[in-house]
Amino acid sequence: MTIVTGKTEARRRLQPGKSGVLRKIWEHRADYAYVLPAIAVMLVVIAYPIYYTIELSFFNTPPGLQLRDKTFVGFNNYTAILTSAVFWKVTWNTLIWTVGSTGISFVLGFAAALALHRDFFGRGVLRAILIIPWVISAVAASYIWKWIYHSDFGIIGAVLVGLGLADRPPNFIDSVSTVLPSLIVVNIWREFPFAMIMMMAGLQTVPDQLLRAAKVDGANAWQRFWHVTFPHLRNVSTVTILLLAVANFNSFIIPWIMTGGGPSNASHIWITHIYELAFGRQRWGVASAYSVLLFIILMTFGYFYVRALSGNDRKDGSA
Amino acid sequence: MTRITLGGAVLRGTVSTALIASLMSAPALGAAPVDLSKWSPEYVRSIAGTQEFDTAADCGKVTPLDYKGRLTFWYQGVFEGDPDLLRQYYKDFFETFRKTYPNIQLEEQALTYNDLLDKFRTALLGNAAPMAVRLQILGGTEFASKGYLQPLKPEDVGYSADDFWPGAMKAVTWDGVTYGIPTNNETMAFIWNADIFKRAGLDPDKAPATWDDVVKYSKQIHDKLGIAGYGLVARKNAGNTPYRFMPQLWAYGGGVFDETSANPTYQQIELDSPQSKAALQASYDMYVRDKSVPVSALTNQQADNQPLFLAGQLGMMISHPSDYNVMLDLQKKATGTDKDKAQTVIDNMRYGLIPTGPDGKRAVVFGGSNIHILKPEYVEGGKVDEPAAKAIICMWTSPEWSLKMAYAGSNPGNLNGFKTKWMKERLDSIKFLDVTTSMLPYGIPFPALPQSPEIMNIIIPDMLQNALTGAMTVDQAADDAAKKVKDLMGGL
Repeated sequence: MTIVTGKTEARRRLQPGKSGVLRKIWEHRADYAYVLPAIAVMLVVIAYPIYYTIELSFFNTPPGLQLRDKTFVGFNNYTAILTSAVFWKVTWNTLIWTVGSTGISFVLGFAAALALHRDFFGRGVLRAILIIPWVISAVAASYIWKWIYHSDFGIIGAVLVGLGLADRPPNFIDSVSTVLPSLIVVNIWREFPFAMIMMMAGLQTVPDQLLRAAKVDGANAWQRFWHVTFPHLRNVSTVTILLLAVANFNSFIIPWIMTGGGPSNASHIWITHIYELAFGRQRWGVASAYSVLLFIILMTFGYFYVRALSGNDRKDGSA
Repeated sequence: MTRITLGGAVLRGTVSTALIASLMSAPALGAAPVDLSKWSPEYVRSIAGTQEFDTAADCGKVTPLDYKGRLTFWYQGVFEGDPDLLRQYYKDFFETFRKTYPNIQLEEQALTYNDLLDKFRTALLGNAAPMAVRLQILGGTEFASKGYLQPLKPEDVGYSADDFWPGAMKAVTWDGVTYGIPTNNETMAFIWNADIFKRAGLDPDKAPATWDDVVKYSKQIHDKLGIAGYGLVARKNAGNTPYRFMPQLWAYGGGVFDETSANPTYQQIELDSPQSKAALQASYDMYVRDKSVPVSALTNQQADNQPLFLAGQLGMMISHPSDYNVMLDLQKKATGTDKDKAQTVIDNMRYGLIPTGPDGKRAVVFGGSNIHILKPEYVEGGKVDEPAAKAIICMWTSPEWSLKMAYAGSNPGNLNGFKTKWMKERLDSIKFLDVTTSMLPYGIPFPALPQSPEIMNIIIPDMLQNALTGAMTVDQAADDAAKKVKDLMGGL
């Protein structure tokens, strides 16, 4: 079955070389009118801050001066960042945080989606329960988990000590070696339901007749998954992973509330480090340079996200 | 010799008389300042309840009570670690202000200690600050040095500089100009659980005399009872950390600069001195070597130590006089056997002077808050209603309200507050208040520098965390912190 979307139709009409740019714009004047308010808002609340951040990244802003007394330093902030040990430590933390959170959230979410895609008693209730972490406020969740992990009177520690499995509560968030994995667990707990919902939606698009045909042809469960289900979920998987990765790169609440980037910077990721540089230490110039670098990385993710979506559209149009 | 005409003499005489009359009627000069040289618990008791103040009448002379205006005001308000009593006084203050000045439209916003600076800085960048702000003592110099604040001295709201602690006035002075008025000032004290001391084989009625004793007692409590000895706090970006570590640093003879001297110059960095390293070593010994303090010290603040103490899981801590009331509030919320356990802890709660260093040096952070008026260009709308701002400042810094707003957790910024009937009532109802007021003369203000917030809230906690997590040795952590301070002072 061919599904013709509005975008596909518009793309067909916009074949290059067939008409002038002005004519094309005129033909799509209604479309432009619809998106104009959004573009106007974006220019004010996104484009200007981006411009200002880029500008500020070329200035030194000592904490003892007002921002208007800043001094131009060219690329010094970028050089200082790239040559500082803290940058590489924070970047490494950010990579572990993003890759760990995204990868495991996706796998767990996918597995949960596959399980919940089957028809069984209590499926609706289970689905509702699994979504709870995602709908809980991140701030509340962070405080709850801080209590669960507490190194002196946390729930996990109390249970382990109570059962005689440990002499003293384990140190989750007050140790440089365990803090980041502990925070990643909280992040996964909070965002795997998002992956689950996305993949459940994707699973509903897998044609049932193909799965039945594969079964008739003797394919086992794994073969049916690998050769029928998974290929149909490729695009939704890409989009889910990209969205999770962007969210994790920008993740602030959990690490900031639970540890403030500590102890000893062991759980500082880019976004918390930028916050501390800007608002705690008033190094607006350096923080802006960090933000510009983060922006470039996120734009790269954005590019792949749009490509993945366009891939969907192309596929839809050609099917 | 100068010749004066009859008309000139009459004019001079009239002006002089009017001037003297107006000074006499000023509330600050109507009341003799407190004699700080006699400061002792007995002296404080002797002056309590000796003078009456009419706040509305006094402030009416600064801003007429029928004045019509609008005021935006942010303040460091109560937070989770404060007692309920204080919440009620804050509520009462704003109700009273609205009744006293019914035509001033007040838009107030409370922020917690740890959030206020960040939010205020951001608002200033967008010229969206409030007209008046009450900041922690650490913040005044930063904003004054950057030119955000208007000059404001006690005389502008009907008081005199002598009505306030000299140390507190230092914290609102930048480059010889006064930019604010202290609302409250406090020094903390040392708190311990006598029952825990007894069970650990320590004298239940004797606080550790020195910081070395604290290390020793903490280990003894932990080894004998399996609970945390001393309530160390080393969280970053939390005011609790410097308030607990700096007394230790100063007692050992260390410092960030020379802030413990009578006339500090802040030129020489002392964080890497042998004395400073000895203080850091004491924390290291408790956290790493003896494991005698809460493991959660790196991510916790004092508010997390309070329930530990109430549960009988912590032997000693540094805190406010208000902690006794906090314990009472927490005990009321406990149920079943927890309630009885909490009562036992409260009955065994003892307050003492903060321990000394090896050379007998005793020190404590001279804490508190100040109130300021912003320059119009940084305020939302570009206008500051000065009479309205002065009205609230006069009221908050009055003997009556500077005491009531500091009833449980601090002390009145206006020294005349110690003479009010509410001080007498406070001395009778708040246990251990004597001890914390006795610490006031040992108070050392944070360095009056714009860089102080970063030093105290980030560099000092970082130094502690680097040493306590083993990310650096004690020597390396102290050297690293000293270098960071040097870079900071150099504008990097």
